[in-house]
Amino acid sequence: MSNITQKGSDEAEFAKPLYTPIKRRSFFMYAGATAGATALLLSGCDDDEGDVSNPTTTGTVNLGSGDVGVLNYAYALEQLEAAFYAQVIANFASGFSADERTALTAIARHEAIHRDFFKTAITGAAASQIIPGLTPNFSAVNFSDRGSVLATAKTFEDLGVAAYNGAGALIQNPAYLGIAGKIVSVEARHAAYIRDLISNGTFADNTTVDSNGLDKAMTVAQVLTAAQPFIRETINGSNVGK
Amino acid sequence: MNLFQIITELEKVDPEIADRLTHRRSALSALGSFGKKAALAAAPIAIGSAFNKAVGQNTLTAVNDVLNYALLLERLEYAFYDQALRAPALAANLTSGSAARGAIETIRTHELAHVNLLTAALGSAAAAAPTFDFGTTAFSNYASFLTFAQAFEDTGVRAYKGQAGNIPRTLNPTVGGTQVNLLTVALQIHSVEARHAAHIRYMRRGAAAGAQTTIMPWIVGAEANMAPAAVYGAGVPAANFPAENNLVQAGITLTTGIGATYTEADVSAAFDEPLDNTTVTNIARSVAKF
Repeated sequence: MSNITQKGSDEAEFAKPLYTPIKRRSFFMYAGATAGATALLLSGCDDDEGDVSNPTTTGTVNLGSGDVGVLNYAYALEQLEAAFYAQVIANFASGFSADERTALTAIARHEAIHRDFFKTAITGAAASQIIPGLTPNFSAVNFSDRGSVLATAKTFEDLGVAAYNGAGALIQNPAYLGIAGKIVSVEARHAAYIRDLISNGTFADNTTVDSNGLDKAMTVAQVLTAAQPFIRETINGSNVGK
Repeated sequence: MNLFQIITELEKVDPEIADRLTHRRSALSALGSFGKKAALAAAPIAIGSAFNKAVGQNTLTAVNDVLNYALLLERLEYAFYDQALRAPALAANLTSGSAARGAIETIRTHELAHVNLLTAALGSAAAAAPTFDFGTTAFSNYASFLTFAQAFEDTGVRAYKGQAGNIPRTLNPTVGGTQVNLLTVALQIHSVEARHAAHIRYMRRGAAAGAQTTIMPWIVGAEANMAPAAVYGAGVPAANFPAENNLVQAGITLTTGIGATYTEADVSAAFDEPLDNTTVTNIARSVAKF
């Protein structure tokens, strides 16, 4: 199938949600019948897309391209974080105080909310292009050891911050950039807290903030290299943001 | 201010700026052109905010205005911590070698680095540095100082977030001999401010620090913990700059709309909210003269 056809079906997927929920009605009030007809026409292409735009093949998960690729990228990382903290709080390692357990439980919920939000939002915007649920691989983590849990949490939080920071300039749609901005500062708050639990005062030390006062920003490839050992599926992010 | 002149100037560094502005500012015309994938991609989530944004109160458009606004906030933060570290009434709590002093010095170092970076990026367009008077309350005792610090950090996070959409994503100026992506730099500062905010919040738990024993590193609801309520309130317009207790993202109510039930506390804390420059400046002027 040609690229052109596939592009057409991409557009159809984006256009589809314009029909359904209440929010979309205000869109039609502004955009009028022309855009509505456009959406209708494009969604007619739905049936011939086949599996071409399905980003998943066995064992490999392709995050896809453009903004949807960035959203899938974020969704993948949030899945990883959510799965990690769910396991942390399901059976706390000894040595976590009651107060720390409260905070870690809150973090677990924040990550689950991020994960579920992305799943819902991507499904609404591009249902055929959402990546599936990933299978985490936490074999390197000792969940009964406070130090192992915190070290892994630090890795994930710093990585998340650097990933969002690096992905910002890849995002075309300003609304998606806004969403990423709303999440990344919460990840940074998590990162600072976890770091302070490991060693008070390291919330923004020179392992993450450089001499210009800048936090890390990592490319998709750098982030996926770091994240891959924690995910069973092979993640392909080569077209994210492109 | 001549909008077309600004666009012409921006085109010199960013040839695609016209397209981008069309995309950002005029969703209607973008949608009118049939094949634009980007515009359709924008539609489901962005459409509401795109229209609001066009008439929003976030009055900064030229990139240099955004940078000078950031510079003002960084100068304010630097001055605040610099004065705090010299304040006689805080000396007993910020003792040499203490964790508290170390943290405040780390934060001051970052704010100064931000000032220097933004000054370098602006070059001759950098605004003159004002002097900052934080009045008699801010440095009168440790608890008060940390309350102010929390307000400045959380406001700073919201302020940068509020400008992200005003920085074209392909502006790559040379700063201090290195080519940088301006939006990425802004994001890299933004997350450092969030790290500061998280640490300051936990410092407030201490007995001498105000005994905010249940405060979290993140913002729960719109709880101000004795900081000015406006720091956590809605901006103008509230549709674009909701209060920190916002529960709706991209049109989805997150307490019930994402396949599981979550508490308002957790949902509000999971997302920080942006703030417009007018509201931010008003907050700053409510606690400091400059």
